[in-house]
Amino acid sequence: MKVIGIYNIKGGVGKTAAAVNLAYLSSAEGLRTLLWDLDPQAAATYYFRVRAEVKGGTKGLLRGKRGLDAAVKGTDFERLDLLPAEFSFRHMDLLLEDQKGPTKRLMRLLRPQSRSYDHCFLDCPPSISLVSENIFRAADLLLVPVIPTTLSARTLDQLLDFLAGHAHHQDLKVLPFFSMVDRRKRLHCELMQRLPERYPGFLRATIPYASEVERMGIHRMPLIAYAPSNPAAIAYRALWTELQAALSDTATRVAEPLPQAV
Amino acid sequence: MSAPCLEFLAPSRLATDALVSLIGERRRLAEERARPSVHVFYDTFDWALWADGGILERRKEEKVFTLIWSGIDQGSEPLSQPAPTEPAFAADLGPGPVRERVLNPAGIRRLLPVMGIRTRTRRLRLLDDEDKTVARIAIDQSRFEDPVGGREGDLRVRLRVLPVRGYDSERDSALDMLSGELGLEPATTPTVLEALAAAGRRPGDYSSKIDFSLDPNERADSVVKTILLGLLDTLERNVPGARANLDSEFLHDLRVAVRRTRSALTQIRDVFPDPVVGHYRERFTWLQQLTGPVRDLDVYLLEFDSYQQSLPEPLRPHLEPLRTFILSHYDGEQRRLAEALGSQEFTDLIGKWRDFLHTPVPEVAVAADAERPIKALADARIRRMAKRVRREGRALTPQSPAADMHELRKSCKKLRYLMEFFQSLYPGDDIRALVKLLKVLLDNLGSFQDIAVQTGHLRELAVRMRAEHKAETDTLLAVGALIGDLLARQRSTREEFAELFAEFLTDETQQRFRALFGRHPDASGDRAAGTEAAA
Repeated sequence: MKVIGIYNIKGGVGKTAAAVNLAYLSSAEGLRTLLWDLDPQAAATYYFRVRAEVKGGTKGLLRGKRGLDAAVKGTDFERLDLLPAEFSFRHMDLLLEDQKGPTKRLMRLLRPQSRSYDHCFLDCPPSISLVSENIFRAADLLLVPVIPTTLSARTLDQLLDFLAGHAHHQDLKVLPFFSMVDRRKRLHCELMQRLPERYPGFLRATIPYASEVERMGIHRMPLIAYAPSNPAAIAYRALWTELQAALSDTATRVAEPLPQAV
Repeated sequence: MSAPCLEFLAPSRLATDALVSLIGERRRLAEERARPSVHVFYDTFDWALWADGGILERRKEEKVFTLIWSGIDQGSEPLSQPAPTEPAFAADLGPGPVRERVLNPAGIRRLLPVMGIRTRTRRLRLLDDEDKTVARIAIDQSRFEDPVGGREGDLRVRLRVLPVRGYDSERDSALDMLSGELGLEPATTPTVLEALAAAGRRPGDYSSKIDFSLDPNERADSVVKTILLGLLDTLERNVPGARANLDSEFLHDLRVAVRRTRSALTQIRDVFPDPVVGHYRERFTWLQQLTGPVRDLDVYLLEFDSYQQSLPEPLRPHLEPLRTFILSHYDGEQRRLAEALGSQEFTDLIGKWRDFLHTPVPEVAVAADAERPIKALADARIRRMAKRVRREGRALTPQSPAADMHELRKSCKKLRYLMEFFQSLYPGDDIRALVKLLKVLLDNLGSFQDIAVQTGHLRELAVRMRAEHKAETDTLLAVGALIGDLLARQRSTREEFAELFAEFLTDETQQRFRALFGRHPDASGDRAAGTEAAA
């Protein structure tokens, strides 16, 4: 099982939309796929029409007596299962602190699932916390949606600095891609040129801003399932293709910033 | 707790539209697009996978081919792997859990299609109040096409509940609706079994094993005809596979049936008139001889890898020209065999033999033993043959020529066949134990004899390869090394023999023989002994 974290310190950058659509594409390709909604807002859970509740709550889940199995829900799509989030996930950090090996808890919980799934996507909450550290330990690869704005680029730097400073995370593959791109904005166009020069590992797929993406909340299913020819849907497919190549080629380290000042 | 049955049969009066509306009246539904699928089921000719408790299927669904192994009892978890090509031999399947599962039971036999089913599946999603899918119901309309008998027809519509993970109570409620509210009958057998039954076929309907149920008081000639008819059926059923060379076991089973027929004719000969016995003995000897060359080559090819492995590493590649040489002669021999098995001569033999076996026995028979009760005759014949085995075996010394070992092997085989023909006349466990003892002895004698033949034959092949300039010196040396290795194995086989035969001669074993076949109150057993001595 390959574990893919979709992560950014910043919120509102299109993490959930990417996680939901990539997980859908993975399952549609015949791969057994699990999407773990770790964000207490439970947006991914909502998109799949699953109730935002977890038997035993966050505490029960982390204690892991019954493993994750009891919490998993099948979605409307074959081979695509969801581990729903609930509001109590906001306390996950605190609860993790009480665990033995607090940064390895999620990895340990996921391990038994590797028999049941080919891919696991983690829809991560924003901010950098103990939950994020768990995600960095569990993931084989991090996908980082980046809106081509200064603030968003800054959080990418923060992330890379953080990973570089921790021995456990130095091997983690980080793949940024542009998300919610509005080509009418000059800043977007400029940064889309500049950032890949600084981070040569940037993926080529670029997810455009599309109001249809926001409508996932009305349709309550992945964009690709109801608007397969929408430009954003096409872009997610391109992203999926690049992701597959990256997953099969684990030796490549990408997104290491060149040694020069920002 | 056993898993709940998730599959139901629809009453034949209900069309699928009616089923969908019945369900729609009770649950919130959405229908997905219907899907066609094709299911081809495979097994070996002798149903080895079935006997091992499994069913092998190659399924085509949404342009994807999957190979699926499932347990007959539906209790074990099915295994699956991609199946880009049609299965042939288990060893040639792509890597995966299905290959691992079927490799052993299928062995060297070819996987043949035994049944085809085309299905159109309507899929209903059962929804909760958020329109979330909480379970699915698949409605399968299937049609079978029997690739063997050519029959086809519709099967009963099946409904399957496909649970969605994490929605157990919704699954149970769907099951309750189908079995309770709609009163549907649970489907307890896999669709393929229903298809086989509809096509008038039965899994496991071929076995090369002898299995007659005989009446001890029935007259001998009539019983022997029954036995010979069974052997003829086996022989004939293997002809198409042997002609097409689907795998090596068709010819092997055919040859065993011929050998058993010849053995029955000679060992129980006084039940038919002499000219009849003489004629058919000669005809079946002809058949046995014409099937010999291909079988010899089959044995080499089946053993080749182990031959090669038995040589020191550096010599192994040099044996390869021998395989090429054997293969280059194989097609010619196989063609000759296929022609012979399609010839008028063969068809006449089989047809006339069947006519003879079907002709009712005469009220007053000419042959001396024809009207004897079969049990008495069986006792006498088995007793005689067991005595011969004891005599020949005792006479063997470590220096005895291979030919003497071979004579003993032939006698053991005759004894084994007699015991197998008449197995049902004796207490099952007792006779099976003695047959098993003989099988062990025969395996040993068989290995000894095979090596004797193979070493001679390998030498002959080496001479021919040299004459045809098909062998480098290294190849001839490798063949020499192989012969040396085989002769060493033969020596250890002979050492084992002494031990195994001692087991056969123990008082305990002989007592078991006497208990089963010991002198029968019917004194005419002596007459059989007389004819034996005169022969």
